[in-house]
Amino acid sequence: MIRKNLFTVLMPLLCCIVYAQQKPVHKLDELIIADAQLKKFSETQSLQVLNDSVLRKSQPLLTQLLAYNTSIYFKEYGLGMISSPSFRGTTSSQTAVVWNGININSQLSGQTDFNTLNASDFSSIQVRAGGGSVIYGSSAIGGSIHLNNDFFFKDTFQNRLRLEYGSFSTSLANYSLKAASEKIYCGFTITRFDSENDYEIPDSERKNLNGAFYNTSSNLTFGYKINAVNTLKFYSYLFEGERHLSLIYPTETPTKYNNLNLRNLLEWNVVSGKFNSKVKLALLNEKYKYYPNIKNEQFTYGQVETAMIKYDLLYDLATDMKLNVVADFTQNKGKGSDIESKSRQISSFNAMFSHKVKRFLYEIAVRQEITTNYSSPFLYSGGMKYRFSDFYTSRLNASKNFRIPSFDDLYWMNGGNPNLQPETSKQLEWGNDFTLKKMSFELVGFYNDISNMIRWLPAGQLWTPVNIDKVKSYGIEAKLNGKLKIGEHLFSCFGTYAYTVSENKEIQKQLIYVPYHKATLSLGYHFRKLSAFGQHMFVDEVFTRSDNNPRYNLEAYWVSNFGLDYDFGKKNSYKIGLKMQNVQNVKYESVEGRFMPGRNFTVYAILNLNES
Amino acid sequence: MKSTWKLFLTATLVSVFLASCNKDDTFEKAPLGDYENGFFVLNEGNSNPSTASVTFIRNDGAVEQDVFGNVNPDELGMGSYLQSMFFVEDKAFIISGSANKITVVNRFTFKYLTSITTDLENPRYGALVNGKVYITNAADFSSSTDDFLTVVNLENYSTSTIALANWSEKVLEYNGKLYIANGCFGNGNTVTVFNTVTGTAEEVIALGGTNSPNSMEVKDGVLYVLTSDSSSAGAIFRINLSNNQIASSVSVPSEIDNPKQLDIENNQLFFTSGTSVYSAGLSTVSISTTPIMTYNSTSAWGQMYGFEIHEGKIYIADGGDFASDSAVYQYSMTGALLDTYAVGVGPNGFYFQY
Repeated sequence: MIRKNLFTVLMPLLCCIVYAQQKPVHKLDELIIADAQLKKFSETQSLQVLNDSVLRKSQPLLTQLLAYNTSIYFKEYGLGMISSPSFRGTTSSQTAVVWNGININSQLSGQTDFNTLNASDFSSIQVRAGGGSVIYGSSAIGGSIHLNNDFFFKDTFQNRLRLEYGSFSTSLANYSLKAASEKIYCGFTITRFDSENDYEIPDSERKNLNGAFYNTSSNLTFGYKINAVNTLKFYSYLFEGERHLSLIYPTETPTKYNNLNLRNLLEWNVVSGKFNSKVKLALLNEKYKYYPNIKNEQFTYGQVETAMIKYDLLYDLATDMKLNVVADFTQNKGKGSDIESKSRQISSFNAMFSHKVKRFLYEIAVRQEITTNYSSPFLYSGGMKYRFSDFYTSRLNASKNFRIPSFDDLYWMNGGNPNLQPETSKQLEWGNDFTLKKMSFELVGFYNDISNMIRWLPAGQLWTPVNIDKVKSYGIEAKLNGKLKIGEHLFSCFGTYAYTVSENKEIQKQLIYVPYHKATLSLGYHFRKLSAFGQHMFVDEVFTRSDNNPRYNLEAYWVSNFGLDYDFGKKNSYKIGLKMQNVQNVKYESVEGRFMPGRNFTVYAILNLNES
Repeated sequence: MKSTWKLFLTATLVSVFLASCNKDDTFEKAPLGDYENGFFVLNEGNSNPSTASVTFIRNDGAVEQDVFGNVNPDELGMGSYLQSMFFVEDKAFIISGSANKITVVNRFTFKYLTSITTDLENPRYGALVNGKVYITNAADFSSSTDDFLTVVNLENYSTSTIALANWSEKVLEYNGKLYIANGCFGNGNTVTVFNTVTGTAEEVIALGGTNSPNSMEVKDGVLYVLTSDSSSAGAIFRINLSNNQIASSVSVPSEIDNPKQLDIENNQLFFTSGTSVYSAGLSTVSISTTPIMTYNSTSAWGQMYGFEIHEGKIYIADGGDFASDSAVYQYSMTGALLDTYAVGVGPNGFYFQY
């Protein structure tokens, strides 16, 4: 009993012992964040925040939220179907999804399917453009998406129910609870989303066939402030979903796909004087089942269990000078119907340093992984930022990032290549921020050189992945944010624009499914109890042929959504609203042959049942 | 089949000429359609539906892409992953493996007639036997027990099935019987003689060992079957069709890796390996390792994706990168490049009208 107590106390107290004489500072109203590096060490890169009100306006699935609010292009195989990102012209496995500081890309495929995450389960979502492997590990090449469940230790009791019903028998029910005091926080959300998804394809007599899907997701966040120095946090996320995969031809054999993902994170945080140390334990479980014929019970499957332990120490060297060292050990155990049962261990060490002197800030970070599976490159990131005036800040960042070979790449039966090396990327970014009282504007230029990209090629009778491709991508991104208040009328606008060139260096052609231009515009209006919003997305033509033959390009499209709601509540907020998606009834596709729905409607209610 | 057609056409022409011949008459043969004088190339395509198409190359060298789409703009596409095509009288049957569909068109005008969508599961190849069409279906590719035949009634295109329980791929008709090559991606080692009158497999000819048949042709009552096994060694079997016995066989030298696409022309055997074409006499006892020609290809996995010898010329379809339009080549029998034609994505077969 004593030994157990000693052990649990010893680790975090390692730092406390030295600074025992210093009085711990009791910070009021401090946002408790799991992903501390996101704010502290991303000063020289572009960081975009999508807060709770934006999350509530959008469609539940993450793809729709990001497609209308960021420069990322999504290849969606029909509404709700498999969805893969292209961030700054990179491939689907070169965007990392980070959940409360933990990288949760699939270990099997190396990517995240953006329709297996519900935006309604998080308190905020942040999009960090450009490389981030030095902090977040594999796949953070084009950028990273951060899903956060941040909270405050203050008296709260909030109950919220969100209900939606729309075209194609689509329904959503989301309940969230926040109960907290100065010592305890408990947050819980549960979402159930399902749809028949039998939409008509505009300008045709065809319907989306075999497209029904459902998912259930739940998030639990628990925080306990043991005392002013020690805090315990627990995060858990469950996602379970089944999707029937849409057909192109009505006579194709209908298939379906099941996902079951469970993520758990336990964190012990000790804050003592200039030291802030964390011990994190993460247990992640992912599993998919693919049924090649809905009528049969046969399926293929893949499963990976990940266990990770991380020690994170942040030290305030001086005012505005921070040093953060992190050491972690990860074990992945994978098995499946098509992969060999394998276990992979990776240790990594990284150090981050940031220093601000008056108007000048510079940050450096390094990371080195140690594993027997492949030769892990030395990763780094260096940047600087100068605040010329209240109006203008300029920043520069250079980094080296990577994407490790996935379980499918390494251990696929009859074809996996255990000698694969990671894909590497070297990039440079120059950002400019302009800030006025009511408006802000950001302009970023980037250049990315990716080599050793993995491509599957035939070798005799079998297919095997090889490190063969080289891609060069560059472009500019612009963001505009504005707010205007006239009396009780509130106007807001948020626009993005990206110009991206992404070329296969060998044949010097633009990669397929990477548009040259993409723009989004979000407009909001608020007057007393009335709220309205309009969302627009413009996507330029994309190539579908590797030789860029324009005859086969997908047409450019401009899609708009519109929504209106009224708050009927007197003491609490009871909003009832109506959304219209694809107002102009545009026939569009982000993957050839996979058309999206035409004009459709959703009725929604957001009822805040809280007392305080 | 081809020689019967030629005879029929010549007979028609002669009778028309004789019947209406007049000093002042100008003789005109009614054209059967725009696609009479030339050949089709079937483009397998990839997962993008627009990549599955048919290209037509006219005898004068004119090329037309996406014939089906041009002639039938309002019809639903033929499906993705076009596996093979075959002619039945004046019709063409185009098989889409992934859409479980056979599109039937007029072979000379390419006008859409109908689609066969019932009783198909990963259809592969087809043939006309005793007035009905038989299609082999792989169903689940990893299993041989679920393979079956689809029987198509040509009067109303109704279908029925017959279980086969063996790897069933290429087929051909000879003397009222259906011959099925039981070889799929290296699996299987027999040839089935199927009796369509009784609706059963009459005989299963064992090729032995791991000799998996990949292509076959009939010449003068002998069935020539080209096999290759998992170690890539090949052999050519000669089966006497009067008694379904293996008369003899000749092994393909081990230097010739993965031989396939057997074709017989002018009493010679031809087959391919990699980017080369090899030839041997019909009754040869040994095969020379010297190819009669080799072509250059940058394709990673589509080298010699389609091959045919026709009227003294070699036709080669190069798969390219399967993500963009590719090309087919016409060579002389001595390997001189005669012509290059642009086609679609993943060209896999040649289909000559005559």
